[in-house]
Amino acid sequence: MYMYLPIALTSVNYLVVMGLGLSVGLLSGLFGVGGGFLMTPLLMMVGIPPTIAAATDANQIVAASASGTISHWRLGNVDFKMGLYLLIGGFAGGAGGVQVIKLLRATGGADFLIKMTYVVMLGLVGSFMFVESLNAMRKSKKASATAAPAAAPKEKKGGFFAALPMQTYFEKSGVTHSALVPLFLGTFVGVLAAIMGVGGGFLMVPVMIYMLRMPMHVVVGTSLFQILFTCIEVTYLQAYSNHTVDFILAIILLVGSVFGAQIGTVLGRKLHGDQLKILLSIIVLAVTVKIVLELVMEPSILLSYAGGH
Amino acid sequence: MKRAIMHSTRFFMAMALALFGLATLSVPAAQALTCSVTPDNIPITFTYHGAQLAITGQSASTDDLVVTITSEPVDTALKNYEKVGGLVWMKKGTLEFKDAPRVYLLSSTADLSRILDAAELNRNLLGFDALREHIRIEDSKGNPADGKWFDEYLKFKKQENVYDMREGAIVRQHGENGNTYRVDVAWPYQAPPGVYAVNVLAVRNGKVVERASANIEVKSTGTVAALSKMAFDQAGLYGIMAVIVALLAGLGVGAIFKKGGGSH
Repeated sequence: MYMYLPIALTSVNYLVVMGLGLSVGLLSGLFGVGGGFLMTPLLMMVGIPPTIAAATDANQIVAASASGTISHWRLGNVDFKMGLYLLIGGFAGGAGGVQVIKLLRATGGADFLIKMTYVVMLGLVGSFMFVESLNAMRKSKKASATAAPAAAPKEKKGGFFAALPMQTYFEKSGVTHSALVPLFLGTFVGVLAAIMGVGGGFLMVPVMIYMLRMPMHVVVGTSLFQILFTCIEVTYLQAYSNHTVDFILAIILLVGSVFGAQIGTVLGRKLHGDQLKILLSIIVLAVTVKIVLELVMEPSILLSYAGGH
Repeated sequence: MKRAIMHSTRFFMAMALALFGLATLSVPAAQALTCSVTPDNIPITFTYHGAQLAITGQSASTDDLVVTITSEPVDTALKNYEKVGGLVWMKKGTLEFKDAPRVYLLSSTADLSRILDAAELNRNLLGFDALREHIRIEDSKGNPADGKWFDEYLKFKKQENVYDMREGAIVRQHGENGNTYRVDVAWPYQAPPGVYAVNVLAVRNGKVVERASANIEVKSTGTVAALSKMAFDQAGLYGIMAVIVALLAGLGVGAIFKKGGGSH
């Protein structure tokens, strides 16, 4: 039942850890998020030091997102072109964000600002998605039985985005945007994700739905494809520079998460885009409430290891 | 005269014998204090989840005993939570706990405060109050920090099972093999690999009168040791291996699901 982890220097119940992998992998396959915002605190609860929890989680997301990407790809849900533009932006943004965080930390007192930004962003994104998908579901109920269920949001053209150069048609998503738009949005999410110390899936998914107007199922597949590459980079860098990747912990987690991602993909196929959105928004809101409670309530022990979210 | 001298010699001899008898009765300290730990070598393998230690030895029957298991003192940096803006709790600064052992497990035959006075406890670093006097706590600017942080440090270490005090846990036996003692200690898996010192102190009349010691070596072996060495010595290769294994696992399971008809 117990397995010793050579880098975390602690022993864990592998059935519990596999269970964590399975549940977070399921969310990953369903919603296209990495799930780091859930997994890292859960790992800390089973006694893994924060820095190792965050780095090893990235390693396990490589497996879960590879598993999810391949099954979404088979279903025709991955927009590689869009994913690539977002990825290039995300890499640049991530590198920039790391520099910004260094500057902010040097000035001192930035942690408060970062944490608040994180909570506000999560709260706003969660509330917006919740209200929007609730409205969409009501509308689709009112519509006649012959009408197609609310799936892909209609592409909105015009205004500033349409005036930009390098207009490109993204076949899989069925949208036309300037190539600069996903590049810019990728950079924006990359900067925020680096500042907040998270993967950014929960930000990228709403950006793809509401700003790039992509259909929900393509959003999930494309987000996973993008997360796969981001987490490969993070795993390598964390292993190389900080020695914080616990290979054994990652393997136990990924045994659960790769299956979870498959189950999530199958489940996601049975749900409508709006149902997926509303479920994701509920999870994001629940995480927001948890973080707010943690912030407001006095911790039982006022000391902790460095690192973590 | 000669008779008188003979008489007094006998008297002194008798006195000496009586005194010797008394001395052997009241202080059977001829029995030297010993200490041994079983096992004294703890290998860390994948199935390692701590160990059960038995610390045994011989001692004088009337002495009280204190057994400590400690590591070399180290400086430990921890983040401390503070209330920011009067509303939220955040990891604000870093506190350095200087000269603090990684592990501190103490057992004794009786309450420490009953068998030793404060000065002797402090001198021998016995008990959490002595540790409080010994460990220096500094903030990131090197200023001494408030004493309340020692209480938090203690809570932190106790939660990790690496600091513990069990007064009265040592069991004594008086038998044919002399006076023996034994204490069973649950070795916490949270304690990092290293060499730990086991010290046994005999206490008589409020003073430490005798000591014995042994060592425990906790060491990673086999694949656990190889992986941990690789993570530090060949970090690049380790990172690539971690990525490739994760990729193969993800793609492999994806393929299995397709074969199983999981896709639509």
